[in-house]
Amino acid sequence: MTLLEPGRWYAVAADHDLVANHIYRTTLGGHDLALWRARDGTVCVWHDRCPHRGVRLSLGEVVGNELRCQYHAWRFGTGGACTFIPAQPDRKVPGAIHATVWPMAQASGLIWTGIDPVGAPPALPDGAVIRAIPIDRCAEDLERAIDGAALPALALTIQPCTADRAIVRGAATDGDLVRADQALLALRRRLEAGA
Amino acid sequence: MILYDAHHLAECYAVRLLAVMLGCDLTLVPVDVYPGHEHHAEAFAAINPLASLPVLIDGERVLTDWQEIMVDLALRHDAAWCPLHDPALVGWLGMARDLGGSAGLARMIETFGAPGDADAARARAAILLDEIERRLWFGERSGWHWLMPGPHPTVADLAAFVFVAPCEDGGSSLRDRPALRRWCDRIRFAPGFVAMSGVFPPMANTADLNAG
Repeated sequence: MTLLEPGRWYAVAADHDLVANHIYRTTLGGHDLALWRARDGTVCVWHDRCPHRGVRLSLGEVVGNELRCQYHAWRFGTGGACTFIPAQPDRKVPGAIHATVWPMAQASGLIWTGIDPVGAPPALPDGAVIRAIPIDRCAEDLERAIDGAALPALALTIQPCTADRAIVRGAATDGDLVRADQALLALRRRLEAGA
Repeated sequence: MILYDAHHLAECYAVRLLAVMLGCDLTLVPVDVYPGHEHHAEAFAAINPLASLPVLIDGERVLTDWQEIMVDLALRHDAAWCPLHDPALVGWLGMARDLGGSAGLARMIETFGAPGDADAARARAAILLDEIERRLWFGERSGWHWLMPGPHPTVADLAAFVFVAPCEDGGSSLRDRPALRRWCDRIRFAPGFVAMSGVFPPMANTADLNAG
């Protein structure tokens, strides 16, 4: 898929999405991602597939500073390397076994990733991070709609998910999360009704 | 107390899950609903003319509604699990029943060949799941962990959970509903949690590893 511009950062989660012992799941440009926060605070953005049997890592569990796959309980450290294979507890884990790690940056209360992103993620104006709203339209349609809509006190950024779905993220610069939510749900109803 | 039970029915799972979490002993009598259709047999009609499951038998009393059974167990074992003083309980239980007729129905159609319109069921489910997601997200901002305020889940959480957790088997998605996924995890990691087909229990020794 060519939904992503190389070099660009995309927001794919909010800081508050990554709670302890939980694996967050999303899609960026057709790529399934699993995000989690280790006990030491490290935030990981990984391809949502176990390198062993391809099961979604987001079905697994966080144990301390490792992610454990649901299927065979292989564990992976925050750098992506496999650290433990329960079926072979006495053997050294081959160094080539790795989860696929994506770039990660934290800014404006959001978690950002992308394909070879350059520099720092875009800085959003100060505000309260809004609830992310998925909309069944492509990212370009959504960008046009947002540019043409009256959405005061909102600083927005778009996560392209698939060819026909994108997520609106951002901040309410006046801190009014309920108003922001209502405005974006209205936008969603309008766009999806016009599909 | 005897519970006529079918493992794969979410309504039965809700009662089993609540009973374990409350520490209440039930004698399970499995009924071969699928593929045996035992619930339509003459023997079962004598127990419950509605031909539905679960059924709770408590001496002379016969309870045939899954939510009534949940409320009955909670009121008897720990009334804090059934906050009847709050009208929101009725709203949530109604929402859970609607989930049964939408997300739950889609799961029954897709995985057990039940009759019905799966697309229509999923469309209704999407509206309900989106609304629960919205309420949970704003609840999290207020420091709530459950559908209703309080330190532990209530019958409302479990009644909704049994349809939300396995909804992907029916073609609904939790991917872009992060607050629902977090809430499902909170229930999965709650003390006494038991699983059913399509719902993962916590893996072995996770709590130990995270306590170390």
